[in-house]
Amino acid sequence: MPSPPRLRPGHSARSVRFAGVAKRFGPVTAVADVDLTIEPGQFVTLLGPSGCGKSTTLAMIAGLELPSEGRILIGDRDVTSMPPAERDIAMVFQSYALYPHLTVFENIAFPLRARRRRMSNEDVTRKVRDAAAMLGLDQLLDRVPREISGGQRQRVALGRAMVRTPTVYLLDEPLSNLDQQLRVQMRSELKDLHQRLGATMLYVTHDQGEAMTLSDVIAVMSAGRIEQVGAPRDLYDWPANLFVARFLGEPGMNIFEGEPLDGRLRAAGVSIPLPDTLPDAPDPLCAGIRPEYLAVEPADTAPLLGTVRTVEFLGSRSLVRADIGATLVTAFVSPDIELAPGQPVGLGPSDPCKVRWFNGRTGAAIRAGI
Amino acid sequence: MKVIARAALLVASSLAAIIVLGPLLWALSTSLKSDNHIFAVPPRWIPDEPTLVHFRRLLAEGVHWSFLNSTIYALGAVAAAVLVGAVAGYALVRYPVFGKRALLVLFMGVMAIPGYALLLPTQIAFVKLGLFDTRLALPILYAAHVMPFAVWMTRAHFAGVPRELEQAALVDGYSRLEAVWKVILPGARPALLSAAAFGFLYSWNDYITATTMLESPDLRTLPVALIFFQGFHGRDWGALMAGVVVATLPPVVLFLVFRRYLIGGFAEGSVKG
Repeated sequence: MPSPPRLRPGHSARSVRFAGVAKRFGPVTAVADVDLTIEPGQFVTLLGPSGCGKSTTLAMIAGLELPSEGRILIGDRDVTSMPPAERDIAMVFQSYALYPHLTVFENIAFPLRARRRRMSNEDVTRKVRDAAAMLGLDQLLDRVPREISGGQRQRVALGRAMVRTPTVYLLDEPLSNLDQQLRVQMRSELKDLHQRLGATMLYVTHDQGEAMTLSDVIAVMSAGRIEQVGAPRDLYDWPANLFVARFLGEPGMNIFEGEPLDGRLRAAGVSIPLPDTLPDAPDPLCAGIRPEYLAVEPADTAPLLGTVRTVEFLGSRSLVRADIGATLVTAFVSPDIELAPGQPVGLGPSDPCKVRWFNGRTGAAIRAGI
Repeated sequence: MKVIARAALLVASSLAAIIVLGPLLWALSTSLKSDNHIFAVPPRWIPDEPTLVHFRRLLAEGVHWSFLNSTIYALGAVAAAVLVGAVAGYALVRYPVFGKRALLVLFMGVMAIPGYALLLPTQIAFVKLGLFDTRLALPILYAAHVMPFAVWMTRAHFAGVPRELEQAALVDGYSRLEAVWKVILPGARPALLSAAAFGFLYSWNDYITATTMLESPDLRTLPVALIFFQGFHGRDWGALMAGVVVATLPPVVLFLVFRRYLIGGFAEGSVKG
């Protein structure tokens, strides 16, 4: 398994550590027992569906919410109950939260003007101009937020974070208010910025495309828990459980549940050979195959047998949806193969090594003999 | 079609202007006429020999002290009402206040009680508290009358301010108080100014509370002082109209300076409240 790429961390970058952190709002548990370590200079994304607790986790690092249990450390400082102002972190909000009555210059300068920093006017001006130059905001310094575009506001918010070289950057869905084209552009700018600053960045999103392209490490969250932590590729190739398998990928992994019988996983329309290395297969057992690793096979010998529901022509490939038993399966196939809705179709894994196995009862992955 | 619409608008506006401004201009005209010209037939808009004799009369009677009283009472009341009202409005939005809804309904409800109904009970209470006929009586009562409005006005504004603005300031290195002072208050200026302007006009125009709560001549407000020119021996129209002119000036100036906030502020309160 490849280890996540390590950048040379910037001089101010610090690690962040969660130890048994939980947050409850009355009877509702938003975050349950999170243990997570973020190394200095890493770009870590909290990825999960809305309401999974990822924004609450971020707010706890910022100090905007206090954990009900556990400790949070930034570097070697315990910040668990420290006020936000003392944590030396910067945060970019989903709405940008620019101060509407201040110019772009004053917005970026705002953190530097805090009494605790006691910075001279010349230093403020110099730092603001540096940050503005880095983000291409030089021409906009005299405008107020309502006079600039969404992408520019986004950059001002980044500038306000950058200007004081914080120990950790917290980014709460910072791209979600931009249109598609701008989002892709800002995404690569953000990646570039991270590499230049060598900063520890913690990013929250529900968009796996952003998570995959930006992150050194992704932590997938669901229902207040961290399901898996790892490099994007590892998560995609070796999901730790059925949730991650289904959640990652567009569309997610196909899951076939059945019983292991005579060296095969068997269910209606399903007969997938078990690898020799799978010891004492549990019952029920699940096999997972990504859509791109499914291929059309002759119906009489195919491990999967079903009926085509829809075919979407995508140019370089076709997305086929087929009913196999009770499972709706998606497969990317060559556009040259002619399939029509209602037609019977045989499918099978194009590479047996790409089939993933899960305990059907607990959902946990079974690493078959690797 | 467009021309007709414009013409109709012009006629309607002119009519409204005449109805509103006519009496004021007539008061101004009368205040500048000598006594024997006031009832001249036919009436004249522009006095033949303008005179300031009535304004001198006001000074001689010490009406300027009443003017000062009115100003101090109104400003004191406005300062207290807006300060306390804004703090309450902020707290009602940002803090988990017990019985929040009930409090808001209460504030709304008390605005509906006619002030006259409370005059006698308040007077009795103030006599017992030793506040009757003191300098504190009117500022306290005016502040109390204006405060519910100030709470509603500022609450409506604060409710529209995203919480993230304050959070951003906290993360940027500021305390909660600094965050409110530097980020929230500057944005709330229209709401605060329109609450203040409303409060000032209310206090400035009041007559009934002032006559009920004060007896001493040196504590009188302007409206109360002017009433004495409608004496038992016929009215001193010239002096009365001069007083009206003086009394009208502050609200007019106030409106001219703050009209942007006044109009916008009332609209904001009505939409978001």
